[in-house]
Amino acid sequence: MRDFEPSELGETMETFTVVQKLEDLLLVSVPRDLTDSDVLRLRQRVLRDIRRYDSRWVLLDFSLVDICDSFFGRFIHSTAQMAKLMGADVIVAGLQDAVIETMVELGMTLPNIHAVLDLDDALALSREYKTREQVQAEDPLESPDSSRVEGESTDWDAFADSPLSDWTEV
Amino acid sequence: MAQVQTSEEQSKKEYFPINSLVDVVRARRRGLEIAQEMGFPLAEATKIAVVISELGRNIERYVGQGAITVTTHLGREKYIMIVAQDQGSGIPDVDRVLVGGYSTSGGLGLGVSGSKRLVDKFDIQSIAGVGTTVKAIKLLR
Repeated sequence: MRDFEPSELGETMETFTVVQKLEDLLLVSVPRDLTDSDVLRLRQRVLRDIRRYDSRWVLLDFSLVDICDSFFGRFIHSTAQMAKLMGADVIVAGLQDAVIETMVELGMTLPNIHAVLDLDDALALSREYKTREQVQAEDPLESPDSSRVEGESTDWDAFADSPLSDWTEV
Repeated sequence: MAQVQTSEEQSKKEYFPINSLVDVVRARRRGLEIAQEMGFPLAEATKIAVVISELGRNIERYVGQGAITVTTHLGREKYIMIVAQDQGSGIPDVDRVLVGGYSTSGGLGLGVSGSKRLVDKFDIQSIAGVGTTVKAIKLLR
């Protein structure tokens, strides 16, 4: 990660490759030390690129972020809501232990957002859903439950038990 | 006198003027470093940085200018103290802000109430027309 002064980021974020397309995922590598206005600019860019690449998933990779306050939590939440209206689901990956502990104690949790540990899990999640959608498309009369792929070993619903699964203000 | 000198040696203070969002980022980044340098584990240092961020944002958003001082004390009691000060119009309803879920800016209302949960001692002194001082202390155990 290249270091930069926070003040420079606003002008240079466009030139940093923080948003990339991977299959039907929009890969967003969230930089550290973003100011609140940088965060809002990043959200605009994400929404613009969802449209540009017709992305089905937005992966917010937080592995570089070591300070995540309530504004950041709000950013994740609002980005997810806006992306949803464009037909895309947000996956959050790479949250560090210290960040998670702080977010939860601060009173932030994230509902309706898939949280995974790393990029591999995120890619697996998006492919898994794609397979499910294809199965459903081939047999539209089949109910969503029975469309689950044979031999599936990962129970994605288990993520609902993660501490990030509900957005509540304590 | 000797005792006073000793206590000065044990206390270190860093001052961060808050006039912009970039100042907030600088203060919280340095706060994370200071906390780790004095021996806080990463998760606790992260909480200190987030408290600085929340209080700094409030100064920037509601008043426009103010300052944050970070004091570390390594005497018989070991702690870090964050003091956020501004000379704004004051917080009309401190109790409501402390409970949480209250915001006049469309936020989540988690900044102050959440910060309070992240530290051991938390105190707000706000006087209309004079300003607001928020003090947060986290003990190093």
